[in-house]
Amino acid sequence: MERSKYPLYFSFPAVIVFLLFFITPTIIGIYYSFTDWNINADAIKFIGLENYKELFNEPRLKQAFINTLIFAAAVTLLQNAVGLALALLLNEKLKLRNLLRMIFFMPYVIAPLVIGYIFRAIYHPEHGIVNQFFGLLGMDFMVQDWLNDPRFALFTVIMTDIWRVAGFSMVVYLAGLQFIPKDLTESASIDGANYWTRFKHVVFPLLAPAFTVNVLLAMIGSMKVFEIVMVLTEGGPGYTTEVFYTYIRNTFSSGEMGYATAINMLLFVLVTLVGIPVLLAMKKREVEM
Amino acid sequence: MRSRKYSPLLLELLAICLALLILIPFFMIFINSFKDIRESALFGLSLPSNWVFSNYEEVFNQDNLLRGFKNSFLLSALVVVSVNFFASMAAFVIQRRGGKFLQGVYLAFIMGLIVPVSIIPTIRLMDLLHIKGSYLSIIMYYTAVLLPFAVFLLVGFIKSVPRELDEAAILEGCGYFRLYFKIILPLISTVLVTVSIVVIVSVWNDFFGPFYLVTDSTKWTIVLQVFNFVTLYSTNWGVVFAFMIVVITPVLIIYLFLQRYIIDGLTAGSVKG
Repeated sequence: MERSKYPLYFSFPAVIVFLLFFITPTIIGIYYSFTDWNINADAIKFIGLENYKELFNEPRLKQAFINTLIFAAAVTLLQNAVGLALALLLNEKLKLRNLLRMIFFMPYVIAPLVIGYIFRAIYHPEHGIVNQFFGLLGMDFMVQDWLNDPRFALFTVIMTDIWRVAGFSMVVYLAGLQFIPKDLTESASIDGANYWTRFKHVVFPLLAPAFTVNVLLAMIGSMKVFEIVMVLTEGGPGYTTEVFYTYIRNTFSSGEMGYATAINMLLFVLVTLVGIPVLLAMKKREVEM
Repeated sequence: MRSRKYSPLLLELLAICLALLILIPFFMIFINSFKDIRESALFGLSLPSNWVFSNYEEVFNQDNLLRGFKNSFLLSALVVVSVNFFASMAAFVIQRRGGKFLQGVYLAFIMGLIVPVSIIPTIRLMDLLHIKGSYLSIIMYYTAVLLPFAVFLLVGFIKSVPRELDEAAILEGCGYFRLYFKIILPLISTVLVTVSIVVIVSVWNDFFGPFYLVTDSTKWTIVLQVFNFVTLYSTNWGVVFAFMIVVITPVLIIYLFLQRYIIDGLTAGSVKG
């Protein structure tokens, strides 16, 4: 059938909504990031690169930038490592397999805000069950003020997010594992390949699609982290857990809209720069399909 | 039979220990939701020395609770409908018709999958359109944010629906609307389930969107109500935990019933897409 006969207007509702409510704000955001738009001022004035100049002299931005990258890299790596390990474990013939799969995915259906509040109690320096646990084991060196000690705060936030999202990666990897023919691994083990060799040469290459999806989603999601950080640390202590969105929130609440929009633009640029290689990898995979 | 060097029992034990790591935090808030103001502030795992049920009474006396659930439900339902319709119609012609314009549209959606929303200009835009703070504004916001993901997934899936079906239907005198409604939609229903699940989880659990876009507290979703409640009651953790239990229980019950579809749906959707 001729391609041109398919009605173009089928795409219009989606295009209009996306153009109006996603692309338009992005474009007007570029303009506002060059203004002194402030909730307390009457008029919005164009001030050129002033916001960006100010931002680049702001140590807080540098912190937010570094922390966002550390957070994204650590979460992407650990989420995939833990998710893959769980998937391999729960791909074995365990009695409680289905129940366990269900439990590991459970945190993913709970609002990150709620999870943040739960873990604020869990990390409480005196009463929190983390410190209680280490105290009971006599591991006093592990008893720390997890959220208020600048040495650990970012690490703690990362671990909390891993707790939340590892189950999601697990499910995607389990899906990938289902597509690997049983006889392939079996014949490899008859040939004398041990678990590690089988994993490296048979299982892992065939998991590539699941791997791409997981890395893509983890990277994109973690760079836009907000609720977990806001609730656990509010970006502190100091600015040791500050990420882009907590920084935006703070400048937003002090009414500096132009400045906050400039921060958003920088996040936009950062995510795009990191995202484009992944985008290309995805495109390549499409060709293979 | 495969020879194993490890014992399955040992693996099972390991998996159970790991599962406890997930369950203990939930148990912690559950058990503390029955404690009085002093005991609940200790965040312990022990049983309450006396069971305080009035925490729940206090929670159910909040008008905000029911309203929050109602708003979350309304928003999720409407966003599910709009995302599924708009995305599937667009994905259908993107995959079938192609051409420069639609290729550009597809690329724009894929970019939208990656880049973050500009939230403050979005507020401004809603203001200029005179829909700031309305249900419509938040529905449009979520639809715009979630469309890229849905279009991406659906374009990938529609490839597997043979074009011959279209041809046969059109030859039989079927219009494009009927083709889409009667043939394409039923065939892609499994992916639509996946899209719906992801949309519901995203909208229901989101704090970011309504925090910035909804100023009127009568339109607050349940997650915003949690935020508000914790700010007000942060001195009485027993009541706060009771509120959290009330908020997450329906989600967990729905998850319990739908987990097969959720996990299968994500499975089918993610690796295929």
